[in-house]
Amino acid sequence: MSSPSQAIKQDQSKIRWERYVPVYGFPVVNSFFLGLAALVLVALILTAVRELAGLGPVSGMNDTYGWGIWKTFNVMVLTALGSGAFAVGIAAWVFRRKRMHSLMRMALLTSFLAYACGLLLLGIDAGRPWNFYWMVFPWKWNMHSPLAEVAICMSIYAMIPLAVENIPPVLERLWYFDSRLRPVVSIMERRLHYFFPWIIAAAYLLPGMHQSSLGALMLLAGERVHPLWQTPWLPVLYLGAACFMSFGCVAGTTMLCCLIWKRAMDMDVLDEAARITNWLIFGWLGLRLFDIIFRGALGTAFRFDRFAGVFWLETILISAGGWLLIWSVRKRDPQKMFVGYVLSSFGGMIYRFSPTTLAFRPNPEALYFPATIEVLVSLGFISLGVLGFLIAVKRLAILPAPLQEWYDMASYFRFRRPYIRWTGYFKFGYFGEEESGTAAGSD
Amino acid sequence: MAITRRQLFARVGKGAVPAAVAITVGTDVLKAAEPIPVPSAAVGLLYDATICIGCKACVAACAEANNTDPDTRRDSLHQAPSDLNDLTRNVIKLYKSDDDKEYSFVKRQCMHCLDPACAAGCPFQALHKDPETGIVGWTPEKCIGCRYCTITCPYHIPRFQWAGFNPRVTKCELCRHRLEKGLKPGCTSVCPTGAVIFGPRPVLLLEAKRRIQNHPGRYYQDRIYGERDNGGTQSLYLSHVPFEKLGLPELGPESVPARTLRWQRRFYQYFALPAVLYAGLVQVIRKSVKGHEEEAHEREKQTGLRAQL
Repeated sequence: MSSPSQAIKQDQSKIRWERYVPVYGFPVVNSFFLGLAALVLVALILTAVRELAGLGPVSGMNDTYGWGIWKTFNVMVLTALGSGAFAVGIAAWVFRRKRMHSLMRMALLTSFLAYACGLLLLGIDAGRPWNFYWMVFPWKWNMHSPLAEVAICMSIYAMIPLAVENIPPVLERLWYFDSRLRPVVSIMERRLHYFFPWIIAAAYLLPGMHQSSLGALMLLAGERVHPLWQTPWLPVLYLGAACFMSFGCVAGTTMLCCLIWKRAMDMDVLDEAARITNWLIFGWLGLRLFDIIFRGALGTAFRFDRFAGVFWLETILISAGGWLLIWSVRKRDPQKMFVGYVLSSFGGMIYRFSPTTLAFRPNPEALYFPATIEVLVSLGFISLGVLGFLIAVKRLAILPAPLQEWYDMASYFRFRRPYIRWTGYFKFGYFGEEESGTAAGSD
Repeated sequence: MAITRRQLFARVGKGAVPAAVAITVGTDVLKAAEPIPVPSAAVGLLYDATICIGCKACVAACAEANNTDPDTRRDSLHQAPSDLNDLTRNVIKLYKSDDDKEYSFVKRQCMHCLDPACAAGCPFQALHKDPETGIVGWTPEKCIGCRYCTITCPYHIPRFQWAGFNPRVTKCELCRHRLEKGLKPGCTSVCPTGAVIFGPRPVLLLEAKRRIQNHPGRYYQDRIYGERDNGGTQSLYLSHVPFEKLGLPELGPESVPARTLRWQRRFYQYFALPAVLYAGLVQVIRKSVKGHEEEAHEREKQTGLRAQL
């Protein structure tokens, strides 16, 4: 005799994420959506103010702290969270962890949104953005500058490989939207698949380069970054942090979406993701600790100052997160897993934030604290990303689900919402009936 | 003997990997302790803190020479900037020890490093070291206003204009517009005691060495700051107090970019390693994509639902 809870657990373990299914039955526009839209609107207005007034009046940046949260948080931290297309993608395509493919569309979408919003804010943060056109002339680049590497690589990556990798869900929607589009969509898909290996490979090389160059940025600052953070290994550590943080972001967001929109969770996939994240976390912590000891900077961690405080905060958060992740895999407890992802990603966020701000000490008298407008613009562009995410998961097949969910969606639209014509996915085509025949015909 | 295309690729690949690694590891980009070449017509400043009387005539002359409004923001009366800023390329500061026994003025302006960290970090070469005169100048048409120079400069010299929609980066450019006309930089032309003098770098070094020889024990460590510090600079300093007290950190003989970006520079040398990495990735991913597509179509036949790739 097994207890009911055990029965549920057994039942859960049979669930397989076999198909990406859009979130249906929830309206895109709700009060949360409108609130975010209001934040975006405020941010856009404040951006106009910033462009006219300059950076000084709207931000807390000063001569000593030349970089504020727009660069250090929205770009350095959020693109690390948005490296899912890189980290999860490498696990899926290079190391052939087949289960990770269920998370791929989620990873690609979050990455694209994080990078797009980060790049927008990078343009706003630049004092003379009209000179960005130099990017078109490679012979004008300063190839050895980490910042050129970041700016160029990031733009190319977000605009070409990452954007192209996000096309399949859009084409798929067109395929279902109107049966007359199917031949065109099939041709486009075939062309896309032909170039896919080259695009995917670029989508791993470029972020590998610019995520490490983000770390190399602070190498030039030398002694002014606290010795607990300043190390020749900074590029590798930045890249490693991006890897485990983005796993946390992708898997954590997927779990959160499953919770909000009442989707079944495939614990096999999540367990594997947690195991990979766990290896990444402890490998990263080991490298960091070894580096600190090797450079003889460990003593500074035991001083009673803010640097030691930040160091212990991030170390404890990341290791607690990693430990919760192992524990959750052993106990099959998704709740602990989610908390583990949140803690480790949060610790990683502090790590990526520290060298430019918390551990940057050019002058003991100067202080930087973001101004209200700065925070509002930063929040506004994060909201823009969330808005894009909410629209995308409800209109495109992004979230993984068991096969049954697809049939449920089909019957939902056919019987509960027969009057909705414009949501796509069923206008001229039908689910589960004509599909295989048409697909076979198109091959 | 004819070879197939596949064999050709494999052979080229086998040769390319060691070649790329050799380029990356063996490249002679900034090997340690390699002296940085001094520009042929390197000019600079020699500032002697023991002669400076702190009259700040150079501060006013600098603003005038560069056609900049005097910075009177402190008390809206005197041109008394407390530090370098968007209107101030040159500033006189006072160092006083805690017991008030020791004091010194210091003139702060761009050091015109032989291997400038600001230019090493500048993404589109807006900050650029002139190959002849060695003056580190700023080109407004190339600057994107990223403020990376304010982070990288070990002397904290370039300053960003925080107000206005068309901000500029302000730093000493050794009055290059005056040099073209055969004039001396503004600061050196007005200095009443000759505490700051202008000239070719080798001449300034000789002059500084002569002063050290003539006045033994007068100068800190009998050393010229900038002769070797940070790979060598074109603004040279003599002082009777430790250089660190004047805001000139002890950076060692290796320049900051050479010390910190060595591996970064090697990795991207001729783009060799990234290119080989890319080729390897494509090979692995091609195989994965093929397998994944086959599985997806297998699944399509089983379920009757269209494959999602």
